[in-house]
Amino acid sequence: MAFLDTLATNLPKLLDGTATTLALTGLGAAIAAAASPGLALLRANGPLPAQLALRAYISFVRGTPLLAQLFLVFYGSGQFRAELTTLGLWGFFRDPFNCAVLVFAVNSCAYQTEILRGGIQAVPLGEVEAARAVGMSRPTILRRVVFPHAYRIAWPALGNEIILLMKASALASIVTVFDLMGRTRQIFSRSFEFSVYFQAAVLYLIITACFVYLWRFAERRLSRHMAAPGRA
Amino acid sequence: MQPQTPQDLVVHAQDIRKSFGTHEVLKGISLQARNHDVISILGASGSGKSTFLRCLNFLEIPSSGSVAVHGETIAFSNGRIGDQRQIERMRQHLGMVFQQFNLWTHRTVLENVMEGPVQVKQKPKAEARDQAEALLARVGLAERMHHYPSQLSGGQQQRVAIARALAMEPDAILFDEPTSALDPELVGEVLKVMQDLAAEGRTMIVVTHEMAFAREVSTEVVFLHQGLVAEQGPPEKLFNNPESEVFARFISKIR
Repeated sequence: MAFLDTLATNLPKLLDGTATTLALTGLGAAIAAAASPGLALLRANGPLPAQLALRAYISFVRGTPLLAQLFLVFYGSGQFRAELTTLGLWGFFRDPFNCAVLVFAVNSCAYQTEILRGGIQAVPLGEVEAARAVGMSRPTILRRVVFPHAYRIAWPALGNEIILLMKASALASIVTVFDLMGRTRQIFSRSFEFSVYFQAAVLYLIITACFVYLWRFAERRLSRHMAAPGRA
Repeated sequence: MQPQTPQDLVVHAQDIRKSFGTHEVLKGISLQARNHDVISILGASGSGKSTFLRCLNFLEIPSSGSVAVHGETIAFSNGRIGDQRQIERMRQHLGMVFQQFNLWTHRTVLENVMEGPVQVKQKPKAEARDQAEALLARVGLAERMHHYPSQLSGGQQQRVAIARALAMEPDAILFDEPTSALDPELVGEVLKVMQDLAAEGRTMIVVTHEMAFAREVSTEVVFLHQGLVAEQGPPEKLFNNPESEVFARFISKIR
């Protein structure tokens, strides 16, 4: 079968691209996840200037195409090559992979911040008061009460955001990153074998399915306390 | 009568005032709780009794007045929020039991009771666990300690909340309408625990609508009306011949 034959020849490159896709998405999502808790707190309860700045940032990210943001950084940074070189940053910006990770992190961070803010604002006030009443400090309350609840509430939406990011990471192929989409386009441009797109689609689907499975597993663990009465 | 010095006082609130916007809810309320006192605070809804109780552990920040707990005093004046560290220190010496229990729903019963001692007092976990198990046995919930709050009845949750307050070994425990959110058949089990605490000499300040508790268990009753103390004294005196007309009307309505 022609399909399986081409799959065998394409697979090494496609898997190489898959690894790049996972790295792009994983790094972008992880950097965003590291920055979002602090930003979400500021967005929910911070001083007004910080809230306004965050709203502007989130509006910008949500209101402009990801591809435009990617072009802005990848081609934009070339305009400032001299300045970036003196700052020692040109080495970072001339690699399209780095530009893509940066853009994905900044982009996903805006969404994750907004999702987590919703979670923080939905934490039951009574439980926060109970923590105050035993004399917990503010950082302890955040760590022991607010964030455990906020993440549980935000969990499904955060998973959704990461899946969207993973699919959107195909845009990196346009700025010459050889992710799964980049490899696919490369193979197609040489062989004109259309089925490679179908093979890529299956690989994307497998990534998403695995991720959804893991995320649901984590969600069940996070929701143990919400089990039906009588079940220990 | 023993001599009264400020040192004998477990909780000493002086001239607490609290306004929300232009509405003055508390118009200068003072309260002294000595060791072993069980003080019931009564009043119609809107009289300010819950707000006053919450001022004692700074869940509401008084507009003015002062609160002394465990040898420390905070004086409030308009706009001053108070020293956060000092507030946290003083709160450790006052347990609080809420109307809605407010257990940490993502932690088991045992973890709820261990949480304060471990996180706030830095007690070793093994020690906190032994203590929590003993306290849960005392409130009759030893076999439920690995359950989550959502798996318990309201009365059981409130007893866990009492054990959680006791775990901090507080100088006094504040109860904010502890039985008001319970089904009628569950009120008794919570009152029983509170009665036992009173009998062993715990200092308690209780905002309640349970007249029987106020009358039979408390050593002192404070009746609030429109943000002021309208009547105050030992329960037998107050209930048998109330001095103020508002309190007379209040108890006749309840009966």
